[in-house]
Amino acid sequence: MIQFKNITLKVQHQILLEDAILHIAKGDKVVVRGKSGCGKSSLLKSMVGALPLEKGSIQVNDLVLSAKTVGHIRSQIAFIGQEPVLGAENVRDALLLPFTFKAHSETPPTNQQISELLDRLHLSNEILDKPSKRISGGEKQRIAILRALLLRKTIFLTDEITSALDPASRAAVMEELFRPEITLLSVSHDPEWINTCSRIIDINNTQLIEVEK
Amino acid sequence: MISMYALMLIPLAIFFYLQLGLIRDTLLAITRMTVQLVLVGLYLKYIFQLNNPLVSLLWVTIMLVVANFSVLNKVGLNRRLFFWRSLAGVGGSTLFVSGWFILIAIRPDPIYDARYMIPIVGMILGNCLRSNVLSLERFYSGIRKNENEFTTYLLLGATLREATRPYLRDAIRTAVSPSIATIATMGIVSLPGMMTGQILGGALPTTAIKYQIGIMACIFTAMVVAAFMNILLSLPVAFDDHQRLRSDIFCNKT
Repeated sequence: MIQFKNITLKVQHQILLEDAILHIAKGDKVVVRGKSGCGKSSLLKSMVGALPLEKGSIQVNDLVLSAKTVGHIRSQIAFIGQEPVLGAENVRDALLLPFTFKAHSETPPTNQQISELLDRLHLSNEILDKPSKRISGGEKQRIAILRALLLRKTIFLTDEITSALDPASRAAVMEELFRPEITLLSVSHDPEWINTCSRIIDINNTQLIEVEK
Repeated sequence: MISMYALMLIPLAIFFYLQLGLIRDTLLAITRMTVQLVLVGLYLKYIFQLNNPLVSLLWVTIMLVVANFSVLNKVGLNRRLFFWRSLAGVGGSTLFVSGWFILIAIRPDPIYDARYMIPIVGMILGNCLRSNVLSLERFYSGIRKNENEFTTYLLLGATLREATRPYLRDAIRTAVSPSIATIATMGIVSLPGMMTGQILGGALPTTAIKYQIGIMACIFTAMVVAAFMNILLSLPVAFDDHQRLRSDIFCNKT
């Protein structure tokens, strides 16, 4: 489903990955580990075309990432970082933001869908009227996940998202992201997260190396 | 005239007292201004005497090109990439609005009378310059500082136009807000230079006001159009085919 084919990634003249290969099947839950600065986040960014590839190619669902396909590929992928950006003044506007874009303007979510998801992610309805600046990092991450679920994204790229969460919220987030229909490529140091993933990849000497569980 | 220069000794004394290190720059600026204005006075005298449409147009072209270089330099944008596009933005809006003012409001005879064309283009261009520097600077630094936010918009399905819209809004607002404030207080707080000049030159205040309102409308329109066009025209060269902000659009800055 997702294939990194012989990719070379270079950031500020430093080679992070060289000729690296990774195949991910639909529904796989992959965690990438490695020293800080080794290219974990860059790997995620390259998949949504935010970082140019030096060499090689990335294929998502039979589409090779290129100028023509980048829009379509991005539409299938949710990217949740350590400090996600909500991009609007208050939480409700942030959730509805993507539906103001032409690509999603015809499928706005119902209030009921939003309430249900808030519930599943251990968030209260009151959060909708809070200013985005006033909510915690953990809440931001869950709002970003909720927004991706509203967009019916099935591929999730997550970067250290459990570090700011309390145990109950973490459990709620993990329950959503580890559903069978979701393909997950994550970066994490959290032992419980790593244990729950179906595959572990280490970045070592510019290579992606699969570790037996 | 000497007494006017003498007046400048006061700010220079203040700079000296505060050890601002601005004395050299100020003296240089005054010298440049004097030389440029004397030269321009001479050029204009001949250009007005000649009153040849081709010569006037050539002079207007020089003004536009210099203004354009000045915008790109101040913003620190790569001239090679942006020159033609920003020239089209600044030039298009200035010429359109100047043409409107000359053809509809003034209707001089001959229509290309240098005595009207050059000062009016100059006045409008000078104001476009400032708004363009402000808006371009604000736009690209906004995207650069908020790269995560910008990428988030793209990942949420925004097209390049949609993803850049918040920064475009912010840039245009920054560029025009000071002008709206100036327009709102005009006549009470400030008497504009052109109007004062006309009154000092012997025109009736009522006539001076008519022209002033006209020129303010022109300046404001040209400023907004130029700022907007310039950003829109720059988008295709500032981003690559994956909607990533190109790193080589800024020169000298990292």
